[in-house]
Amino acid sequence: MIEVNNIGFSYLISSQKILNGISFKIHQGEIFGFLGPSGAGKSTTQKILYKILHGYTGEIKIAKKPLHDWDKSYLEKIGVGFEFPNHYLKLTGRENLQLFGSFYNANKLKPIPELFELVGIQDAIDKKVATYSKGMKMRLNFIRAIMHEPDILFFDEPTAGLDPGNAHKIKMYIKQLKEQGKTIFITTHNMNTADELCDRVSFINEGTLQITDTPQALKSRHGKHTVSVLLKNKMQQEFPLKNLGTNPEFLSFINSQEVEKIQTMEATLEEVFLKVTGKTLN
Amino acid sequence: MQQILKISIADFWLIFRDASLKTFLFLPLLIFFVILWALPALIKAFPIVADYKKYILIVSTIQLTQMFGFIYGMMLVDEKETGVAKVYGILPVNKIGFIIGRFFMPIIITILLTFLLLLVQPFYNLASFPCLIFSILSGLLVPVYAIGVSLLSKNRIEGLVWVKVMNLIIVLPIVAFFVPKNISYFFSVFPTYWLYLGLDQMIFNQYFMINWAAGFLYLLILLTLFSLQFTKKHYE
Repeated sequence: MIEVNNIGFSYLISSQKILNGISFKIHQGEIFGFLGPSGAGKSTTQKILYKILHGYTGEIKIAKKPLHDWDKSYLEKIGVGFEFPNHYLKLTGRENLQLFGSFYNANKLKPIPELFELVGIQDAIDKKVATYSKGMKMRLNFIRAIMHEPDILFFDEPTAGLDPGNAHKIKMYIKQLKEQGKTIFITTHNMNTADELCDRVSFINEGTLQITDTPQALKSRHGKHTVSVLLKNKMQQEFPLKNLGTNPEFLSFINSQEVEKIQTMEATLEEVFLKVTGKTLN
Repeated sequence: MQQILKISIADFWLIFRDASLKTFLFLPLLIFFVILWALPALIKAFPIVADYKKYILIVSTIQLTQMFGFIYGMMLVDEKETGVAKVYGILPVNKIGFIIGRFFMPIIITILLTFLLLLVQPFYNLASFPCLIFSILSGLLVPVYAIGVSLLSKNRIEGLVWVKVMNLIIVLPIVAFFVPKNISYFFSVFPTYWLYLGLDQMIFNQYFMINWAAGFLYLLILLTLFSLQFTKKHYE
């Protein structure tokens, strides 16, 4: 669905390259995560993909057609959930969606009350957005991105500012969108969000893609291939995963006492990021 | 046309929700009041004021552009400050078409108000065709003013400062009428200088088209440059 080949970008006023030969593919029905610290080039890549920034080098294809050949119909196909809430504060939630919805094909628009119900802010539908909490405004961002049934969705920190309950709801809904065949591009520096949602992730640092793979593959490739066993008497020992079922030492250890916890020693995405880029995400 | 109407309705919706913007819609009433009643009454009470009625009329007609210049300037700045501009950037509308659509109604209303003021003012007998041309030139000031303010400001506070500067730029060329001719040319860097000069010549039945052509060209160049910059910067 999205093919990015060797794109580079720098702002006119600066000779420093913001993006340096980035390439990746996002398949239809895939959730792709872009992970990196602030200033790594995540937002710049997204801005190029939703045609706000021009003047990049390299090639981008959307549904096999070069991005610069797409006219404004491309913008009917995409939905963007911005990182920060951006609404008309003096209008109500309903009026905001009516206003922006009026620019899209009316046949594809979802009913506004249904959208509000989806993210649990139906009681605030006719209240001015100025009275919304940050979490409510972020949920309004989310439903504005999906109201016209776009095929491609860009989410920038989709769970930022949400309490765990609502963050969970949004994540579940993003998974549903994937099930419907939507192509989803998430930029985040929240490793839990990326780990839970993304089919594949790319690490970006200083405008360069460092690595792309499934979160699971990255975690196991960069972790230890062992399991750690913690017994009730607080004794703990690590055993290699290879031939674990027939390892006499392991079997005798777990039979010696009641087991409290067994866990694989794969790395977290954060640790993998640190290992690959030498940088932390925050 | 449908898109233009849609954008205009949305904008008027926003203007009526904002007390400070809504108040500015009454500015033409104030200007009409000054020209139709206050100034004649003042001239009657103090005949010396009659010597300045031409200048007051010239400045008043140009002040009509202030209404939508201020309103749209502040709306654009507000959209930039709240990040709403980014949302417009991803809407399926042509960006230049969007500027034309947004300013179509305010330009038309400004043209009509200016034309009306010139026709009903009680001081001079002005032909309607030149009045219409002058009104169209005034209308062009609205997007130049509003886009100029939005390009120069990051937030409402800065916006208000630049509105003041813009007002000064618009009104300042009136000084050209009170200084020696060789100094008056310095004011030609301000686009309204050419409009003022043309209007002055029109009032006294002199040939005014060259000054207005210069003003038109100047405003068109500014509008093109500002619009190009606006489409690049506003939606980022």
